Order: sequence, then C-alpha cells, then structure tokens
Amino acid sequence: MSNIVTAGPATAGRTQDQPPGRRQRKYPRVRAILAPLPWIGPAIVLIGLVVIWPIVVMFQTSFQNITADGINIGSAGWRNFSGVLNNANLPGILLRTVIWVAVVVGATMLISLGLAQLFNQRFPGRTVVRWALIAPWAASVMMTALIFRWMLDPNNGAINILLHQLGIVHGFNTNQSAWLANPDSAMAWMIVVAVFVSVPFTTYVLLAGLQTIPGELYEAARVDGASLWETYRRITLPLLRPAFFIGLVINLMNVFNSFPIIWEMTQGGPGYETSTSTIFMYNLKAINVGQSAAMSIVNFAIVLVIVFAFLRMNRRTLQEAR
Amino acid sequence: MKSRLMAAAAVSAAALAAVAGCSSSSSTTGSNSGSGSSSGSVTLHLFGADYGAGTTNVSTTTFWNQVATAFHKKYPNITVDVSTVNWNAYPDKVKALIQNQQYPDILEGSAAPPYAAENLIYPTSQIISQSTLSNLVPKFLNDTQYNGTAYGVPWTTSTRALCYNKAMFSKAGLSSPPTTWAQLQSDAAAIKSKTGNVGFGLPLGSEEAQAESLLWFLGNGGGYLSSSGSYDINSAQNIATMNFLKSFAASGDTEPGAGSANRTDLWNSFAEGKIGMVNCSPAIVPIVKLKGAVSTSDLGVTAIAGKNGPLTQTLGVHDDIVAFKSGGHAAQIKLFLDFAYQDQWQLAFNNDYDLLPATQSGDQAFGQQNPVFSQYMTNIANSVNYPAKANWTTVENQIKQTMGQVVTGSPSSILGAIQQTASTASS
Amino acid sequence: MAATRIRTAVIAAVAYIIGIIFILPYVEMVITALRPQKELLDRNYLPHHFTWSTFSNLWGSNLNVTSGLETSLEIAGGATLVVLLVALPAAYYTARRKFRGRGAFLLLVLATQILQPTVLIVGLYKEFINFGLQHFSPVWSLILVNAAFNLAFSIWILNAYIGSIPAELEEAAMVDGTSRLGALFKVTIPIAMPGIVTALIFTFIAAWNEFITALTLTTNPSQYPLTVVMDAFRGAYEVDWQHLFAASVIATIPVLVLFAFIERRIVGGLTAGSIK
Repeated sequence: MSNIVTAGPATAGRTQDQPPGRRQRKYPRVRAILAPLPWIGPAIVLIGLVVIWPIVVMFQTSFQNITADGINIGSAGWRNFSGVLNNANLPGILLRTVIWVAVVVGATMLISLGLAQLFNQRFPGRTVVRWALIAPWAASVMMTALIFRWMLDPNNGAINILLHQLGIVHGFNTNQSAWLANPDSAMAWMIVVAVFVSVPFTTYVLLAGLQTIPGELYEAARVDGASLWETYRRITLPLLRPAFFIGLVINLMNVFNSFPIIWEMTQGGPGYETSTSTIFMYNLKAINVGQSAAMSIVNFAIVLVIVFAFLRMNRRTLQEAR
Repeated sequence: MKSRLMAAAAVSAAALAAVAGCSSSSSTTGSNSGSGSSSGSVTLHLFGADYGAGTTNVSTTTFWNQVATAFHKKYPNITVDVSTVNWNAYPDKVKALIQNQQYPDILEGSAAPPYAAENLIYPTSQIISQSTLSNLVPKFLNDTQYNGTAYGVPWTTSTRALCYNKAMFSKAGLSSPPTTWAQLQSDAAAIKSKTGNVGFGLPLGSEEAQAESLLWFLGNGGGYLSSSGSYDINSAQNIATMNFLKSFAASGDTEPGAGSANRTDLWNSFAEGKIGMVNCSPAIVPIVKLKGAVSTSDLGVTAIAGKNGPLTQTLGVHDDIVAFKSGGHAAQIKLFLDFAYQDQWQLAFNNDYDLLPATQSGDQAFGQQNPVFSQYMTNIANSVNYPAKANWTTVENQIKQTMGQVVTGSPSSILGAIQQTASTASS
Repeated sequence: MAATRIRTAVIAAVAYIIGIIFILPYVEMVITALRPQKELLDRNYLPHHFTWSTFSNLWGSNLNVTSGLETSLEIAGGATLVVLLVALPAAYYTARRKFRGRGAFLLLVLATQILQPTVLIVGLYKEFINFGLQHFSPVWSLILVNAAFNLAFSIWILNAYIGSIPAELEEAAMVDGTSRLGALFKVTIPIAMPGIVTALIFTFIAAWNEFITALTLTTNPSQYPLTVVMDAFRGAYEVDWQHLFAASVIATIPVLVLFAFIERRIVGGLTAGSIK
C-alpha cells in the first residue's frame, strides 16, 4: 500500500538523471540546464515577460514619492516604508488580517473536507447538487459580495427579513440591523461570504483528490473491519494530503489577497476598522501611491513568509507528491 | 545549483532590462500617436468621466463623440479621439495614465492645482479664447487658480440643496421644511415616530463624505479653509459640528450606520419614499422621476439648514477640463474647447445629466428650460468649492475614508488627523 | 438494505439543503433584477410585480452586453488554452524529473502568484504601452496577462496530481515502445484528467471574472469584456441595480454551461472512490 505513494517518480527521476556513461559526453552541465527548457521554458518566458516587469516597476515605485494624483515628485528613499510601518492603523490591520486568513481558510478547509466527502457519495440528484455548488465559484466575487450587501440592507435586506421573522433582529433601520456598519458584525459577515466563495473550488480540488484514491483500498479496509472514522483517518486523509495541501496554499494566498468582498461590503471602513492589509494597500493608493507600493511589498513579504513556512512544514508532503 | 540559477537569472534579467531600455526610450511623453505636426492633421486625445449609468443615461462617450464629429466637420484637420470611464474607475485610470506619463491632450473631470503645481498643464488663457473665458461663470473660474493663475476650465457644475418629501412631512404633521439644525433634528424625529421612515439621510460614508461634511461645516461658520486660505479642518467650529452630527446619528433619527452610508444609496431610498430629508443636487430629480414613488409635486427643494439659519453659501462643485502641455497642441485644443463651450453643447450635456452649465449664457438658457432647478441655480453665485490646493486629492481621500468614524469615535482626533495630513502632505 | 436506503436519503437531503444554500444568493439576484423601480427597496421576499423586460432589454446594443460576452469568451477561452499549453508540459516535467533549479522554478512560480494584477496594474499598463499593444486588440494583452497570472496555480495543481500518479504506469507504456510524449498523452493525461480539468476551470473562471486589468487596458466600450460592461451600470449618482444583477446572472451562465460539459471529467466515475 505504501509503495504506491512513496515509490515512483522520486526514484524514477534519480535513475534517469545519471546518464549511462556512453551517451552524454560533452557539456553535461549545459545539457542538464537546457534539457528542462523545452518543458518549462514557455512558462518562464510568459511569467518573466508579463509578471516580472510590473513587479520591478512596483519596487521602483515604492522608493518614489508619488502623489495621490499619480505625479512623481522625486525620490522618497525609505520614507514610504517608514511611513507605512509607522502608520498607527497598521497593528490593528495586521491583527485583523491574521484573524481573517486563519478563520476563513480554516473554515473553508474543514467545510470543504466534509462537502467533498458528501458529494463523493452516490445519491439521486448528485449531478445537480454538484452543479449548484459551482454557483459561487462561477459568479464573480464582486457580485456575490454585492448581493450579500444587498441582503444585509438594514431597511429591507432579505437576511434581515428572515432574521426578523426568527426573532433575532428586533427592528429594521436599527443599529442591530445595520450589520455592515459595525466593524465586528461586518467582519463576521464578510468572513461568511469569503468562506462561501472559497468552498466550491476547494471542495472540487478535494473531490478530484478523492477520485484518485483507488477503491480497492476501501474494499480492503472494509474486509479488515475498519470503522468509518478509522478508514477516513488512515486511508482517506493521508492520500488526500497532496490535494489538501494544494487547496490550503491556494486558499492562503487567495484569502490574503482577497479584495472584492471587503471592498464592496465596507470599503475597509469605517476608517480602517475592517481593513485587511490588502485593502489597506489599496486605500493607500488614494493617499500616496509610493506608500501603497511599499505596502504591497510588505504584503508580498508576509505572504512569502507564510507560504515558505508551510512549504517547510510540509516538505514531506512535497516529496510524496513527487 | 545555486550558481547556475543565479547565472540564468542574471541573463534573463539583463535581457529584460535590454528590452525595457530599448522600448522605453520611444515612449517618453506623448499619447499622441499619429499626430503629425506643422500643417498636417492633428489628433487630440480626450479622456473624461462617464456620467451615465446603464440604461438610464446616455454614455458620455456618445456625447463627446457627437461634439467631436461636429467639430471635425468644421475643422477637418483635427480629429478628437474620445475615451471615458465611469466615475468609480476614473481615479485609478487617470492615475495609471499620469504615472505612465501618458498625458491626454484634454482631461475632463479632474481639478487643476495638482497638475499646475508640477507645470504639466496649460494656463486657461492659452486654451480658450477671450470670449469663451469671459462667458464662464466667474465664481467657478476663480476656483481653478493656482498661485494666482487660472489653469483649468470649469466644464459642468452642480450645487446642493435640501430635498424633502412633502407628503411625508404632512403625514408627520410638519408644515414647512427646517431651517436650523435644531428644527432639522426635531423634524427628523417626528418623521420617524409618525411615519416609521428614516427622518434624515446622512451620508458620511466613503463615497462623498467630503461633500456632506462641508455642507455641515458651512452651517456652523466653518469649512475646510480658514479665512486666510490655509487648511483649518479641526477648527473649533468644525469639531462642534461633528459632535452635533455624532449625537444626531446616535439619536436614531438618521439611518443606522451613517458613518458608512453612501449618498447613492440614500438618494435611492429617498426617491422610493423611504427617507424624509436628504441633501441633494439637481441630479436627484431624474432618479425621483424614474422611481415613480414620489411625485414631482411632493419633491420639496429648499436651502440647506445651518446651525442658526439656512445656509447662504452652499457647496458648489465643478468638474474641470485641463489640457496637458506634453502634446504641444494648444492651438487645436483652443479651437476644440471654444467649439465645445457653445451653448448647444453645454445645454445638451447638462440636460443629459442634470448638472448645471459652467457658462453664463448656458446657465441662462438652462434656467429657462428647467425651472425645477431654480433653487440650485440661485445657489451658484454664493457657492463654495473644495480647496484649490495641490494636495487636495490626498486630503479629500482621507476625509472620505475616515470622516465616517466621527459617528462612533472622537471627532477632534479624527479631524486632527486629517488636518495633520493636510498641513504636511506635499503636493 | 433499508439502512442503506435511509442513509442515502439522509445524505441526499443534506446535500439538497446545502445545494440550495449555495444557490440562494443568486436566486435573490434574479428576484432583485426583476423588481420594478418602485418596489426595489420594499421589505418583502418577492415583489408584487415582476419586470421581465429587465432581462430582455439587456441585449440592446447600447448596453454592450452581447459584445461583452463575446469578448469575455475570447479572453477566458484564450487564456485557458494558453495555460493548458504552457502549464501541462512544465508541470509534467517538474513532477517527473528532478532537475537543477526545480525547486527554484516552483518557488518562482509560486512567488509570482502571490502578487495580483490589482497591485501591479501600473506596471502592466506601462508594459502594454511599451510593447505598442495599444494598437492591437486588447484581447491579446488580456489573454496573456490572465494566462500569466493563473499559470502558477495550474502548474502547482497539475504538479500535485501528476506527481501522485506512479511513474511505473508510464514506464510500462514506454517499455512497450511508446515515446515519453506518447506516454504522457496515452497514460498520464487520462488519469490526471480530474486535476487538469480543475486547473482549466480555475483559469477560465479567473479570467472570466477578472476586472481591474481589463478596465485598465481597454479604452472604449466595444473592447470591454463583461466585467467592465457591468461596472458601467454603476453610475455617478445612481446604480442600475436591476440591470447590474441581471447581467451578473447572465454572466454566470457560460461558466455553468462549460462546467456542465466537463463535470463528468472531474468527478465522473473514474474510480469507485466512495466510502461505503
């Protein structure tokens, strides 16, 4: 059973990297560099041309003093960075970002694990339900955020109507019904929306992962008399690890970079009380473009650190995935 | 492995740099591709804001194209290439243009001082003829000055007034609109208790907090500038004003969450008969007509309430046209602007979008065509605009983002922070 | 037997409820789109009257919805195709071979994914101008930009899926005389199809819903993809909510159709894969 997972490409790769003595005599190192190029070259070119240059521009911008109108009035040295890092709002924003990412990603991964399991079962109408799950993924996040904001309208939002009927909301046009005006309730709802739009994609990633688990393993487990939970823990979860890991990393980056939800629902306000670091970076553009670029770099660094930390922790998973 | 990678990275970086260096030299200033100089044909690039929305209004691109086509007939040598973007996206798009030094010949919708401070635009005298210049409403022209010289040309304007729902007023037992803050508050309370609707719609959210705040500042003898013309945002009067608004919002007579409410939504609610009073401009009229919930006779328009009496000075905004020097087409720009500022186009534009003309003759004709806007037009002569400062954009954006916090936080510290930015932010 | 039936019924019921929850906001979109002007802000679940014309007059040429749909299809389709052609070989090679710079390549790819166009928009615009692309249709630029920014996800997803397929299967095919490329097509791709399709859908949807780059790189309404067209419904003084939500619902349909076609490929009976 373990052979399937740990043997394979890792060993295959190794044998093939050491060429038989006769074949490659000249410039083995050059060949070693050139060999991958036909395969990964196009990717490098595409990324290099399209993505790298704007990144360079962004780095340059972060050292310039650029007004809110876009006019460059000279070098700013490190002042943009010090301005950003000394901003009184920053600690709160960073804390909020941590909470935002942790809660949204955590909830998404957990819920998606459950849903993937559920939608992997056979039941009538499964195709239709799987299709329904796609809706939040297919619709633009901006529009989903807008309709949620609409449904949370203090005067006539559908969610408020429902909650009023359930006796949870006591009156319309009250501070209680103005969910998005209060930073705490606004964050809570925005977290709900973020999970709502992240779950479909993640569920499908996990579902596809479940599909690659051979049925014989479950057969064998059943024959051995393993319980449902044991089967899940011992077979499903470990084999799901690559897919889970991918979903996790992608969600970490996406949620950290998440923009439309908060922007459409509260614009990060009042003030900066519902801003995450991405929203803050965008808000800074209206005040000082150079500082905004500096904040982008700070964000970039943060995500790099988080993702690298995850990669380290899951090196074993990476090796298995090879 | 690392050294190999570094080598590869260095090579590709060098290649990229070479490519970058190669092409950047050919795109110095100038958005004027295809504009031959001397007596040949000239193409002017016009970038503006789109004032329309969906099916209810015609796109401003259509408007400018009509002007451009008619203009081209008169001056076949000059082509005007038009591009607009809606107001939500306008700041970002303009910023991208400016940052990349892709200056349009004519930019509609931005204020002049930031560009004038960097010597990027023509003075007004170079881009319109004397007759057009003298036809402009002097009040607005004065607002475009930077260091004593006028740089922009006001294109369209708008003033504010207080709109109220007459039917709701009578239902609440109120016979006339409020003129003081105290009356406003009690009227709002009466509307709430007798009709269950929101009494006064207060938009301190990020859409137009700077406008609403100014209306209230003016009501207490304050404003953004001191009498000497420097920023005085956290003056004692202004702080008192915001403290009043804080208690007004807390009393429950405004909509909930006033600190995050936006004017667009409140106007929508007002037009549907769900709010009693809101500060408005002429543009609310077609919205009310479209909704069909509040009849024209029930739409009351009056002066905005000040602390001790109605405002004699209201907020008068104007969207300006500026012309960038980079293309060097001052002569052609002048021909075009003189053409565009004729009454026929001013009337067409402002009738389309329910704004007010920026020319005196235009205003006269417009007032005759649209008597329902009379209150707004009388406000023009005494209107106050936003500060004509090079760093106003920065200050304005901070106001938009943070002013709403006065509703729940400390007005003095919020206004203080804005004042801090205003006095220290460079242009 | 009866226990299984009850179990299936319970599972089905839970699944239906969850499906409904995920659809509800979009049903609300449709309802709101159908509200007449007077009843837009009424405090009820359903309005008293329905303005069906909101959906029918969406197609007028002055609203650019039709051209927007076409443009969006071109961009999203093009970007997906480019990603497929570029990511598949890269992911395959990265999964199978341990070459020098493999780790660095993966990390480079990942690092570039962290930054989104929203942040890099000024530089993108500069590139666009410097490469003289404003003379060509922005569709090409948008295809490239969308492909480049979604490449990393696809490479990583494919890398994981291909990596979890044992190389012995390809070895076995090659022993029989197939080339490496042939093995890729005949053995690996069919088995990795769920992952491939997931990556493709991810890219298509990302490109379909992309807004900020499309806004910056297009200059007139005939070039707008649907996202930018819809943004125009939000005016200076009023928002055309009904048409905005109607267009948004319409915008979802091509994606759902695409998904219906290939949903089988993701999760359709390749392996038994269900815990009994």
